[in-house]
Amino acid sequence: MEKQKIAELRKILTSRLNRPMRYYNDTCTRCGLCYDTCHAYQGIPEKIYSPVGRAEVVRKLYKKYTRLSGYLFPYWGDSTSFNDPVMDEAYKAVWSCTGCRRCVMNCPFGIDTALMMSVGKHLLIQNGTAPEELVMLADAAVEKGKSIEEFKEGYRQVIRDLEKEVQKRLGLAEPDGLIPMEKKNAEILYVGLAGAHTIVNPAIIFNAARENWTLSFFEGVNFGFFAGDPEKADFIAKRIINEATALNVKEIVIVECGTAFRIMRFLMGKLPFKVSSIVEVIHRYLAAGRIKLKDKSVAEPVTYHDPCQIGRNGGIYDEPRDIIHAVAADYREMSPTREQNWCCGGGGGLVALDNEEFRIKSGKPKKEQIVKTGAKIVVTACENCVMQLKTIANGYGLDVEIKYLTEFVCENLIR
Amino acid sequence: MGWSDVYYFIMVPMVYAAFAIFMAGIVFKLIVVFFSKKSKGTFSTFPKILPRPLGVLKDAFLVPVAWKRDKILWFFIIAYHAAFVLLFIGHLELIKEFALLQIIPHQVFLGAGIVGIVLIISVLYFLFRRFKSPWRGISVPEDYLILLLIFMTMIVGSHLNLAARYNAAGFDIPVEDYRTYLSSLFAFNPTIPAGITGSPHYVLVALHIFFANLVLMVIPFSKIIHMVFTFLSLNIQRK
Repeated sequence: MEKQKIAELRKILTSRLNRPMRYYNDTCTRCGLCYDTCHAYQGIPEKIYSPVGRAEVVRKLYKKYTRLSGYLFPYWGDSTSFNDPVMDEAYKAVWSCTGCRRCVMNCPFGIDTALMMSVGKHLLIQNGTAPEELVMLADAAVEKGKSIEEFKEGYRQVIRDLEKEVQKRLGLAEPDGLIPMEKKNAEILYVGLAGAHTIVNPAIIFNAARENWTLSFFEGVNFGFFAGDPEKADFIAKRIINEATALNVKEIVIVECGTAFRIMRFLMGKLPFKVSSIVEVIHRYLAAGRIKLKDKSVAEPVTYHDPCQIGRNGGIYDEPRDIIHAVAADYREMSPTREQNWCCGGGGGLVALDNEEFRIKSGKPKKEQIVKTGAKIVVTACENCVMQLKTIANGYGLDVEIKYLTEFVCENLIR
Repeated sequence: MGWSDVYYFIMVPMVYAAFAIFMAGIVFKLIVVFFSKKSKGTFSTFPKILPRPLGVLKDAFLVPVAWKRDKILWFFIIAYHAAFVLLFIGHLELIKEFALLQIIPHQVFLGAGIVGIVLIISVLYFLFRRFKSPWRGISVPEDYLILLLIFMTMIVGSHLNLAARYNAAGFDIPVEDYRTYLSSLFAFNPTIPAGITGSPHYVLVALHIFFANLVLMVIPFSKIIHMVFTFLSLNIQRK
């Protein structure tokens, strides 16, 4: 590897050495308690897919470049310099981690392997070996943020078509205003994704609840975060924050996308408005009687998959279960569940990559969980999870239907 | 330079050097940490059943993760760390008499040799555990060397403690002699009493202190720093 490249990589490495990273580098005793707590390791039992195995790839670089002992006595902690095999190893470690943080729950020191992997992702971008598709998607999102006025008219056209769909499904006379845009002082700014279902279903729910809401011009998904570029991740999130500020809304409601929700609620610092997940909002409507669901109308066994960023990393466990309980006559809990629930294997941008064979293997514990419940419908509240669960269902030939929570709610909404 | 000079070096200048490196190392590490960038946002996991700092203390001292995942490891983690606290108290009482520590009257050195044996068995468990896959694969030389160093310190220290029971063989070094030596170090007026230098176990005392010096010096720059950072790291998880 060229000296210049090493210098650039060192710069990235040291720039990411913040307070938590210092703790995580120094504290790990390699006790191995986390070893088999990663779904990827369960599917493919190789060291590199274990949380500690992954973290060590980044930790060994830190030892080399930020510690005197790592520089003088590299054998002491197995420290290593930047070189091509190490970067290849980093790719394998980083792009098999969904950032689900199940390992954090199973580390006696609470070491956040996902944060360490975000450093690895950043290094891969600098190295020019990051997944091109994610980098391009992040760039596109940044570009949209920079020149939103050019995109607005085209988007309005699309939304007008979606309004007709909402009108049809709600059985209303007129489609106008069913998906409001650029509405100042609305209670809610709803942030969707590119897919029509992420706008139509929530729009049905908002209209049924007679909510004063408006739709964001931006998608909630943060490809900058997935790609591992902190600057782009920040920019992409701030597009929405700026839009919410300009519209003077009281609350941002995030689509069924775990990462988008976690970034906005937990990683952007203090914001002048509330950030909620659409799951919480539906629960709120239900509790206040603003929407009504067909009581126990689904007879088939139903289970719920906790998206990691909404459950373990977002604290939303009861709300989706309450909603499903209202509709499902036969609800079945997965085991392990809640904070120990297995990740589906699609998060962290992995589902956008050409890695289906890997994801089917790493989805093995999730497949086993679903099969054990005997459920015929798996409900979840995350775009990535739905896509990955469908991949698992197809890959293992499971006889289950995968549904978004909003879809499940809309199907059973009393209009 | 004779062996007596080597022993003196280990038992006086090296002890000061080890303490200085230990203290400076810990302070340096903390300064570096507190001058590092804070992370934006929070890194919590849920549920947070116990609020900070109670939850952090529970996770740090009771190690519920180990209890859930590996009960044998949990047993040895608790045994090792509890015995280490007793070991620390035992060494404090070798410096001078602390009335507070004698609220429950006991002999010095506390534990009648059991503390050392518990520590040795625990360290051996931690060491041998690493010989087995998958822990073997994730271990680095530091993991083995630190455990060996602690083992050596403890086996010699434990022997010195147990040998005190063999008074007739002349192996006993009275507590008063240790107190004279250690308190003189704290008073910066180092003296090694004849009860130690004249003991057939002088070499073992020097060896014990040599290993202990190495352990002290290594603490801030190795994974043993988890004794400090555990609380900070767990705090982030609950912030």
